[in-house]
Amino acid sequence: MSINISLKRTAFKPITISKAIALLGLPLCFMANGHDMLPAKVQTQPILFTNATVHTVTNGVMQDSDVLIADGKVIAVAQDIDAASADITSTTPQKTDYSELLDNAQVVDASGKHLYPGLIALDTTMGLVEVEMMRPSNDAYEVGFINPQLEAISAFNPDSEIIPTVRVNGITHAQVVPQGDGLAGQSALVAMDSWTIEDALVASNKQFHLYWPHVRWLSKDADKRKEQLADLDRRVELVFNAFADGQRYLLAKQAGKINKIDLRWQALAPLYEGNGQLFIHAQSQQQIEQAIALAKQYSFNIVIVGGYDAWRVADALAEVNAKVIYNQTLALPKRKDEPIDLAFKIPALLKQAQVPFAIGFSSDWNSRNLPFAAGQSVAYGLTKQEALQSITLDAAKVLDIDDMGAIAPGFKANIILATGDILDPMQAGIESIYIDGRKIDLNNRHQQLYQKYLKR
Amino acid sequence: MRKHTIKTPLALFSLLCSPALLANEQLTDNTPRLTALSHATLMLSPGEVVENATLLIENNKIKAIVKNNDVPEDAYIIDLSGHTVYPGFIDPFTDYAIEYEREVESTSGPVYEIKRIGGNASNGAIHSEMQWFNYVYPDKEQAKKWIDNGFTSVQSSYLDGIFRGQGVALSLADKKANDIIYKAQTNQFMAFNKGSSIQDYPQSLMGSMALIRQTFSDAKWYNENKNKKSISSNIVEFNIAFERLADAKKQTFIFETKNLNNQLRAAKLLNEHEYNGSLIGNGSEYTRLNELKSYPFSLILPLNYPAAPDITDGDSEREVSLSSLRHWERAPSNLAMVADAEIPFALTQHGIDADKFWPRLKLAVTRGLSQEAALAALTTDAAEISGVEHIAGKLKSGYMADLVITDGNIFKDGKIVSMWLQGKEQQVVNRDRSLLDTPYQIQIGELNFDLAIEQSPKLSGTLSSGEQDISLANLDYQSGRLTFSANLSEAGIEGVSRFTLWLDKQGVRGRLLNANNQTLPFGGIKLEPIATSDAANDKALENVNLISKQTSPNVAYGLSAQPKLDKVHIKNATIWTSDKSGVLANSDLIISKGKIEEIGQDLKTPSGYSAIDATGKHVTAGIIDEHSHIALNGGTNEGTDAITSEVRIGDVINPDDIAIYRSLAGGVTTAQLLHGSANPIGGQAQTIQLKWGDTAEQMKFEGAPASIKFALGENVKQSNWGDDYTRRFPQSRIGVKSLFSEAFNEALAYRKAQVNYKKMRSSERRRTVAPQYNYRLEAIAEVLEQTRDVHIHSYVQSEILMFLRLAEAYNFKAGTFTHILEGYKVADEMAKHGAYASTFSDWWAYKFEVYDAIPQNTCLMQDKGVLTSINSDDYEMQRRLNQEAAKSMMYCGMSAEDAWKMITINPAIQLGIADKVGSLVEGKQADIVLWDNQPLSVYAKVDSTWISGRRYFDREQDKIAQIEVAKERAALIQKVLLSDDAHKQGETPIDLTEPEWHCDTHFNAWQQSATGAL
Repeated sequence: MSINISLKRTAFKPITISKAIALLGLPLCFMANGHDMLPAKVQTQPILFTNATVHTVTNGVMQDSDVLIADGKVIAVAQDIDAASADITSTTPQKTDYSELLDNAQVVDASGKHLYPGLIALDTTMGLVEVEMMRPSNDAYEVGFINPQLEAISAFNPDSEIIPTVRVNGITHAQVVPQGDGLAGQSALVAMDSWTIEDALVASNKQFHLYWPHVRWLSKDADKRKEQLADLDRRVELVFNAFADGQRYLLAKQAGKINKIDLRWQALAPLYEGNGQLFIHAQSQQQIEQAIALAKQYSFNIVIVGGYDAWRVADALAEVNAKVIYNQTLALPKRKDEPIDLAFKIPALLKQAQVPFAIGFSSDWNSRNLPFAAGQSVAYGLTKQEALQSITLDAAKVLDIDDMGAIAPGFKANIILATGDILDPMQAGIESIYIDGRKIDLNNRHQQLYQKYLKR
Repeated sequence: MRKHTIKTPLALFSLLCSPALLANEQLTDNTPRLTALSHATLMLSPGEVVENATLLIENNKIKAIVKNNDVPEDAYIIDLSGHTVYPGFIDPFTDYAIEYEREVESTSGPVYEIKRIGGNASNGAIHSEMQWFNYVYPDKEQAKKWIDNGFTSVQSSYLDGIFRGQGVALSLADKKANDIIYKAQTNQFMAFNKGSSIQDYPQSLMGSMALIRQTFSDAKWYNENKNKKSISSNIVEFNIAFERLADAKKQTFIFETKNLNNQLRAAKLLNEHEYNGSLIGNGSEYTRLNELKSYPFSLILPLNYPAAPDITDGDSEREVSLSSLRHWERAPSNLAMVADAEIPFALTQHGIDADKFWPRLKLAVTRGLSQEAALAALTTDAAEISGVEHIAGKLKSGYMADLVITDGNIFKDGKIVSMWLQGKEQQVVNRDRSLLDTPYQIQIGELNFDLAIEQSPKLSGTLSSGEQDISLANLDYQSGRLTFSANLSEAGIEGVSRFTLWLDKQGVRGRLLNANNQTLPFGGIKLEPIATSDAANDKALENVNLISKQTSPNVAYGLSAQPKLDKVHIKNATIWTSDKSGVLANSDLIISKGKIEEIGQDLKTPSGYSAIDATGKHVTAGIIDEHSHIALNGGTNEGTDAITSEVRIGDVINPDDIAIYRSLAGGVTTAQLLHGSANPIGGQAQTIQLKWGDTAEQMKFEGAPASIKFALGENVKQSNWGDDYTRRFPQSRIGVKSLFSEAFNEALAYRKAQVNYKKMRSSERRRTVAPQYNYRLEAIAEVLEQTRDVHIHSYVQSEILMFLRLAEAYNFKAGTFTHILEGYKVADEMAKHGAYASTFSDWWAYKFEVYDAIPQNTCLMQDKGVLTSINSDDYEMQRRLNQEAAKSMMYCGMSAEDAWKMITINPAIQLGIADKVGSLVEGKQADIVLWDNQPLSVYAKVDSTWISGRRYFDREQDKIAQIEVAKERAALIQKVLLSDDAHKQGETPIDLTEPEWHCDTHFNAWQQSATGAL
């Protein structure tokens, strides 16, 4: 630890002391006002939100309703929760007695306000990147083509200044994804409020990431183009070969014949055994179809990340039960002649084609705009509820997590309390956010600087 | 640096041996050289034909046209009955016979200055001093590719650099250099591409244009001042590059570009200086004929028809644009359309394989190019462009005997039989080969056979008798003697027979060696050639049914006509005035003549006006983006030197950019296109209106004040440029300040010198060297004089304060700070100075200097009295500036009305156009947007966007356009799939591959490579 700090100090010598401290993750020093941005403590007292408009996701929008949370979980959602009431959203008709919880509960009057489940930001580099253009602060990308053993979470910085600025818009969890060419490693889901990596980590299956080979910029020069396409074929072959090698290793392992560990294939084993998912980053139809062919060969569970053309191949995706993270809502059409609003419309097209999808906003700091990306899709065909679902419940489903993304009994108490529609920046008025029932600090670097300069 | 290399072994040989040693017969050739080409069809000049006449040639010139075939007795007669004689064709754009290779130094890292040798220009792409006749050395092999197609002379230059030197017109004859030069000094050749120059400047298209402008100006100045003698004034340095351009007024130019937009830019640039010349075409002239026609330049057109786009599967097809499909279909019609527009043009073989020249020209003729126009392009117009109209391009007494002899109409099925270059015949096809063109009937004993010979692709033939066709083997032909073998067993002659035939104009006689080695003589007669069926022509004509549309711009979603001036009454809307009257519920707005006529409640629809019921809808002023890089070609940064204030974004507006249409759909009507931030003093900006379908010039915002991009911070000190870029001053913020001071001082001194010179008496001026006009310092001087507004890219408080104080020291207003992410820290100082701010809504953390950026910046600045706007600096975000403005409501509680002003009236004030646009006020320009929802909401969509009362975007129209684009694509794709291979082949289209521009895109316009993130 001490070695670490001294190294960092050396690196930042030329800049001002206050900035150096900020980069060390100790913003308290020039904090001007109020909160200390400590990670919130584990929920010990039940909370009862009353008279809210509850966007349950699993059960529509419930007007004038109460939500009871305790021990980090949603206990009940009902129009009027009192000691005698039954949990009307529960599938079991049995009545539950909440009196003890309610007696201890802190009551939050949410009249005229909205409750939303916490938002899940997929495909981010949260905590891996502080300042993108500064190499010392960028740990998202590794060299090499076959790196399934890399774990993005190992470099996650829970003290990133970026995290509090993102969660303030309702993002309670983020998928931390390694970047690379080919098999880039494994992602993990983190809570956006923690002391350490281990606090932050949300348990899930193994999540591998494969960046499907593509040509960034196809040359107009015929010879060069040929070369590029040949290289592309070579890289696609490398991908298929890698998975064949992984299987060889697994077979040998099952036969007890491994003499020397190969980190790559050892890491990849759960995928073949159905205990993991393969996130394949691919946009074009050809890429997606190739990815599907791979999934079929090994019966992998796959998620297409990007998925710009996914709606065109709905049937093939359905065949392998693939899901999609669409991350291009706030993007330009990829091809000149496409309808000018195609990128906005694709969520609706995916819905129409019955492709299971979530909306993502692949970035670090900019992933705070995730709710507005979902909001954008509403003017172009999704309903508001569908849009919300695409960044909550469906995002959790993409990660194979079944207790997040809704306000319903048994779900984690990840809750946003807002005065308005959180998908629309002109209305959103987020007042408080709870992660596992813990009310988190909404202060952040921006607030602090704002408050400081308000005083100038 | 330069050397004259002798390439061919022949050349070496001729140097070693004197002519006397080579002469193997007489020392002098005294053969009389009077030749009569008789009984021919003579194409004297385009549209002027005489049939059955004689062309009399003496030595290397045409002596006379003899219409009655009354040939002088001493003339050697060549009977050309059935043949046509054309004047030899001229290719005015070649590098034929230029024996020169430019030596290029190998370098690593940036090159800011080049070696000065022999009085050359200071830029490595300027070679105007070169006179290419000095390097002419004929090359028989190379000449063949022109001669085989009917060309007898060309204009040549070494094709490298921006100013390439003065061309030479020369014959393709196989003679010594002295004999083939028709005109030693012709056009100055030019291009935008800096070619082999190792100097970094210019890296961008606009940089190249600025360099040309400065060079023209320098040359003029040089000419006027070089001989002035005054003890008090400076001596003008010797500069041969300027010297040779001194007579630019008399000089003509040939300007090569790689696409139509650049062609128009070249035209504009030459026209600015009232220079004459010709533009090398690109094949898509037909898409902007009116613009081309407005310039006084002739064209030199290549026949570069594009290959059919790759549409083999859905994935590759999607990458193909409608415009490239259209161009594939239309390109062969280009010549006809240019001719119809009455723009004079010549043709060049440049850029295509020579063997494609005639098939393509014939295709152009089937597409409606008149033969007369085609001939003019090949002869008289080409001669004029090449400066040889007095000796070449016509069949006329005294003209060079440069001729094309064909066996028919060359624009249809006629083939070139022989070429005459300077009175000397060079047979392309042996004249006796034409004997093979006609069929013969031969009689062998009792048997009659028809003999037909095909000459291409290789010699083949058949003997047919009744139903039977017998193929011939082992064919050979030389000088009238045809031999082959054939198995005639089925026809009644046993075994394989070997034939020897002698052909002449009367018929055929021959002998056959049969299976028993017996010789049988036979005879035969010539048959009338089978009239070639018009099937081929019919097929070509079918193709003339073109299915592609032509729009402006000629890309998907282009318009078939400019939208008309609307007279509209919008009723019952919520009107966001961005003015004192605020937001008006339930109100009406009437526009006509491009202006806002009336705003009020319950207005009556004037007669002749259409009405739109906008109940539940909102009307706003058009959105204005202070900082954009859309709709540009050839780079957004010059960025090579630390100061490049001479470059103009206005030079490189790309009216074809689909981004214009996409942003219109987001309600944007006006954008300032800024130079990037690669250097402290960047280029001149251009405010445009997003008038989709209009020309680049029409899009420029009329009356918008001049402006310029300055920049501070990481980009200008090259922090993220990599290890090669550590030498240019400045490399720190400390240095940036010093650089600005120096630039300002230089500009002041420059202006002072100009003023002083003007004050002189005229006699004194005649003796004193005038201050050299300097576009770079001129723009900076304008800043100091406050006639050019500064938009300065800046982030951190130190640099903001630095520039404020610097501006105060030099007595000018700092203008608008753009990006200004730490503006909130020095908002008081900015407000006091009167500076404006244009910022991002919520961007931060992408680089170190934005680590203190906060989304409350707008509120803090606004509250302290700094007029603030939100800009996009991004293609995509520009479409959603309404949402970007709304973020200030979320992050710091700004009112909706103030938020809306940040993307309308506030940027209008910053751009100096608030008297015309930015708010809804009677009498202002009708730049308005109709929204289906509260315009700041994420749920809002634009229904329609008007600029100056013309509806340039309409959501319903867009839906129709989407369907039409899809239909047209499908039809054209079917056409590609159904067309034969010949129609699929062509050059790979030279589409521009340009990135989306950002502030720090470092783009090499010549290698078309880019780096940079944002």
